[in-house]
Amino acid sequence: MALALSAILLLSCGWLLVGLGWSRQAPLASDLLLRVCLSVGFGLGIFSAVFFLSLLFHFTRLMLVDLAVLALLLAGFFVLRTSTAITIVHGAEKEGNVPAWLHRALTAAFALVLFAALYAAIMRTLAHPHGDGWDAFSIWNLHARFLFRGGIHWRDGFTPLLPWSHPDYPLLLPAAVAHFWTHLGNDATAVPALISFLFTFSTAGLLYSALSILGGRVPAMLGGIALLSTPSFIEQGTSQYADVPLSFFILATIALLCLNDNREQNDPSHRYPGFLALAGLAAAGAAWTKNEGLLFLCAIVAARLVGVVRENSFGNWMARARQVVPLLAAMAPVLLLIAYFKHSIAPPGDLFSDPAATFHKLVDPARYWAIIKWYVKGFFRFGHWLLIPGTLVMIGFYFAAGKEADPKSQAGIRTSVLALILTLIGYFAVYLITPYDIYWHLRFSLTRLFLQVWPSSIFLFFLCIKNGNDMCGADTAVREFEP
Amino acid sequence: MIATVIFLLCCLLSTARILSEAPRPSSLATGDIAQRSDQRFAAVKAALPQRGVVGYVGDPGIPALGDYYLAQYALAPLVLDHSPNHSLVVGNFMTSPTSRELPAGLRLVTDFGDGVMLFAAKDAR
Repeated sequence: MALALSAILLLSCGWLLVGLGWSRQAPLASDLLLRVCLSVGFGLGIFSAVFFLSLLFHFTRLMLVDLAVLALLLAGFFVLRTSTAITIVHGAEKEGNVPAWLHRALTAAFALVLFAALYAAIMRTLAHPHGDGWDAFSIWNLHARFLFRGGIHWRDGFTPLLPWSHPDYPLLLPAAVAHFWTHLGNDATAVPALISFLFTFSTAGLLYSALSILGGRVPAMLGGIALLSTPSFIEQGTSQYADVPLSFFILATIALLCLNDNREQNDPSHRYPGFLALAGLAAAGAAWTKNEGLLFLCAIVAARLVGVVRENSFGNWMARARQVVPLLAAMAPVLLLIAYFKHSIAPPGDLFSDPAATFHKLVDPARYWAIIKWYVKGFFRFGHWLLIPGTLVMIGFYFAAGKEADPKSQAGIRTSVLALILTLIGYFAVYLITPYDIYWHLRFSLTRLFLQVWPSSIFLFFLCIKNGNDMCGADTAVREFEP
Repeated sequence: MIATVIFLLCCLLSTARILSEAPRPSSLATGDIAQRSDQRFAAVKAALPQRGVVGYVGDPGIPALGDYYLAQYALAPLVLDHSPNHSLVVGNFMTSPTSRELPAGLRLVTDFGDGVMLFAAKDAR
């Protein structure tokens, strides 16, 4: 009962926060799914931040704090929401133009893949209630236990005596888990398991719904099938690691940016910062989930700045600022939280502990070659697919179907692709200077790093490719959301 | 359309792997490693202070590090320092603990069985 009430509270907070960035529009089915999926991630982000702040300021009545946050969000929801109409150009199939057999095959395959993923996720969760793999209980759930069981001594868990537990990792997952446990009064294993499950299927739902809005139902189903049939996505998703939650926030950032830029392209006269602000919050959520998320946040900001400078005429500073300021403003509060955690609670990370050795590694060509080889191998292997790598299948699909001549949300797609490339370059740089044995580090983390960007890569792939609608003879439509 | 069909077939192949590698209902009863570890350390946990730092000794070698992580997970919010230089030290041995010599400088306080022991420094009261 307490778990259900906490879940309702979380979803309500998430829903209201997402609603603040949305227009007062009648929700259509795909928008409803998009908002529900975003609400899960944003709600967990709120739960995490509220719990962490409650610990910092010694608030012991957590439920009262939750209710105060809910009331604030509710007030904002009714007062601050814009009533500007949002116009989004999207692909909408004419059902009559899609061959019936193909439509049936796609729907059946989607249902089959979804049920198989649900079944496997449930069985894996039941078999490994504390998580599947060392990181689940030596990092994420261990930190959650310190936050929940530690009382006023919760900082003990972030001691340099436990360097292997990565006490410098951010707290979105552990603090959200500890928040639930505080409501329950015990550290039930169901909580981290449920959160992992929610993140996994919210990522799939987010991919499906965002593609459905921006690309149409056929690419949405193809994208959903590609993600849910990736064995390592289901394995990692239920392992209680933070990689799938991070992939959720990366995808949310990119999907919201694409929605924003689609709207901007179609209707530049109306100012509407909602999607951009939510994208900023999602990127900050990524940074509060894992250190790699911080790298992604820097990458998305850099890519956005490059895009804004490229696409606006010089001298038009106001126009440029409008496309960046909401993003940065939404990130700022969470970045302050992260800065405080890194500065005042977490011990220093081990990455830059020895500058001389770092420089030596940077000029060692053998390390570059080793990482390149692992990147190439990992590209084909990371999904743990059966017989044919999913990445190879997508390359084949690309050559068969061709590239969309004029994809919608072009600016958003360019920004997102650049951000993902910069993120992968950042991962490469981290491997270059890693204080661990490079082969050990690559072996145990590279597939998970690729998995972090996999849902976003599928999203961008199906937005750019001439697949669903054109292939099935459908055309594009303009959908206007009126207040 | 052919590309779409091939794409679907490849995805369904991997879905077969997801299903075939999912745990069977019959394997759920055994419990997972962390759950068993929580049960192993339940008795020693009651004998230890609720928080603070205690020492830890266990089997040598890199593979035994996993046992240390599990012990830390079970005993949190107590911090286990992987060192015998503490007044209280948790012992965690997986193989033949009865034939093992006690770590130097430590005396056995309680043997909780199943390889879990509590030591105290010889010079500590």
